[in-house]
Amino acid sequence: MSERIIRGRIDRAGTLVSADAPLLRLQQRAGGGLDRPLALPNLARLVALAQRLQRDISRPLYAADDHSDIHALVRVLPDANGASLEISDWRTRAMVQPQVPAIADSAAAPTGWTWECDQQLRMVALRGAKTMPLVPAGWEGRSLSELFELQPDEDGRFPVLRALARQAGFDGQRVRADGAEGARIAMTLAGEALFDATGRFTGFRGVAAPVEDAAVEETPPPRIDPVFGSLPLSDPQFGRRIDGALRGPLSRIIATAETISGQFDGPIRADYARYAGDIAHAGRHLLGLVDDLADLQNIERPGFKAAADEIDLGDLARRAVGLLGMKAEEKGIRIDAPKVDDKMPATGEFRRVLQVLLNLLGNAIRYSPDNSQIWIRVDRVDERAMVTVADQGQGISSDQQAVVFEKFERLGRTDSGGSGLGLYIARRLARAMDGDLTVESAPGQGARFTLSLPARDVG
Amino acid sequence: MDDSFASPGIDAPSPTLSARLRELADYLGAPTAGRLTEEQRALSLGIARRLVADVAAWLHRDIDADALWRDWLRGGLPGAERLAATCFARGEEHRWREQTMLRGAAPSLVAEPEGGPGEDPAAIADKPLSDIERAYLALRIADRRRFDGLGNPCLAIADLDGELFHALLLDVAAWRLVQGGKDDALAAELRDAVRTSFARHGAERGIDGAAQAYHDILAASAALPETAATAIARQDWPTLVALAAAAHRRRYGDMALALLTAEAATLPSLLAPLRIDRAALAPLEASLAMLSGRAIAGGFAGEGPE
Repeated sequence: MSERIIRGRIDRAGTLVSADAPLLRLQQRAGGGLDRPLALPNLARLVALAQRLQRDISRPLYAADDHSDIHALVRVLPDANGASLEISDWRTRAMVQPQVPAIADSAAAPTGWTWECDQQLRMVALRGAKTMPLVPAGWEGRSLSELFELQPDEDGRFPVLRALARQAGFDGQRVRADGAEGARIAMTLAGEALFDATGRFTGFRGVAAPVEDAAVEETPPPRIDPVFGSLPLSDPQFGRRIDGALRGPLSRIIATAETISGQFDGPIRADYARYAGDIAHAGRHLLGLVDDLADLQNIERPGFKAAADEIDLGDLARRAVGLLGMKAEEKGIRIDAPKVDDKMPATGEFRRVLQVLLNLLGNAIRYSPDNSQIWIRVDRVDERAMVTVADQGQGISSDQQAVVFEKFERLGRTDSGGSGLGLYIARRLARAMDGDLTVESAPGQGARFTLSLPARDVG
Repeated sequence: MDDSFASPGIDAPSPTLSARLRELADYLGAPTAGRLTEEQRALSLGIARRLVADVAAWLHRDIDADALWRDWLRGGLPGAERLAATCFARGEEHRWREQTMLRGAAPSLVAEPEGGPGEDPAAIADKPLSDIERAYLALRIADRRRFDGLGNPCLAIADLDGELFHALLLDVAAWRLVQGGKDDALAAELRDAVRTSFARHGAERGIDGAAQAYHDILAASAALPETAATAIARQDWPTLVALAAAAHRRRYGDMALALLTAEAATLPSLLAPLRIDRAALAPLEASLAMLSGRAIAGGFAGEGPE
């Protein structure tokens, strides 16, 4: 978890008047700047809401720019002259994997040359498979277009140059090259674009495959998808890439739909605004599913282990309430959270425990009747520290309790509320932290979910 | 392996038993010290294997590197202690860079241009490079030699310490000689090959040379602090390690390991010669903090005792 707080200040007119670097960078990437209106629709909406209600609001912030997705927790503190922003747990995730991963040793060796060049197409690496002609001497630092004589495609274009202009991957670039022995070799180049941590384009990396004869030339070269490469479905990298590939577009769909729905750019017909709200809602559901699948893949990999932070379950419960309090208020649900001096020291990964509590509390809010109550209690039994979330929902029968922690189990519900992975993931996480997640319930009597973790003795 | 560890009452232990008892003895000697993770073991072993194959290829193209590795896997790698630090440093550096790659940012989306000079092959013909750009390119080339054709981490022969390289050449040559039936002619041929290979190695300029050249040219242009700070901001760790290594006159691998095993509080002093603003170190501190299983002083980051 990052303890760093990123701060910003909005004036009464909605102008960003000061911001720490990450927030300012995001504002700039969104086309804004200092002393200009806040260009982040989600954040602008939260600020407007906090100002209208004249109360502090804490919410998760999901933002996407051209480079990455950003997840953070934002707190808006309105006052007479505008609002202050405090953003914590700022996490940036790549939209796609920026570089070609290493190919496993067990994979078949490439049949051609592997190469890498910088952003000006200067060669920085060139290696040949054993069965290939040796790479020409003195390739270091030479231009790719000098080393490989580029051949235009049917449209008279050069895929590699087009890719350079777009800073994207390419394939099917026909070339001719001289091997070390002086033989002229016909080859096809394919490459992935490379980027550094700031999203700056740093070159290409790829394979030059030989085209042996006419028959081979007629066979289209193995297509390397710019996002997925040639990874099999079973490869963990595939999951990570599909996660990245979906998250960016979805975030943009949600942000745009929310902008339309919120009528930030001017009034539109109410039914159109409602449709846009539906799109944003569906997008958020899909994004939640992507989050769950990414978590699932992470926690199911062998050797997954959560960190052992020193945490206070009382503090985490209050944070969870702070994040979801508004959602509960919308349904008139009152949450009875642990008092400020209600401490329950435990050992577990801060972020993961918060994730579990958000899942439990989110479910409780979602499935509780309007104007009901939810209780959160912390307790200690022997060496176990426990936090219990109890609601007044319809409850879960004993048959359902047996399957509620299973993957994709939604107890027959068909609404768009969840993926059916939340409780499965929550229990896996609890167990990865040497804890457990259990449920007690009966139909009509609400449900009590209890997260137990190793207790920690203080002082 | 001739240095077996025998427990009282157990005669002639198998190499496996001997290795396990040795490992257990190490564990009992320091039960709370963090152990290697499976990933760290696998990385180091892979790096060692690629190194052995490369050294064998340098010595003689006809040496069967696969058979050599199989034999050494069975009997233990000669000079394992010499290899350990080098392979571990490279493996840890790779884990760090791979983590950065996986967590890193992604491309900016650039609008596709309609033809124009961007697609003219002549337009991307060699533009003259400045001295600094040329030095950086050389560093990048030296760094990419530290990966095999499949993108796996390896050690470039040119980067190896002369003593380690020489010892490896002798070990490989000894293996080849035994394979060839200790033939006199073969022995003479191998002796010559070792001598030639070692001389060739001396003439090679690896990442340490490239790092020193880049550092010196930046220092002469008073661009060192800015370039180092930019490398941190871009999470371009090889450049940062290279500059820090050159500034301290240390080898690249040693510097990488020093950074990877440093407590956050000691980073400013480690990088002091680069005169980087303290605040600019934040991404470095964060990146190192996120790397699990680091062998930092005072514990094994991210893992409890096993």
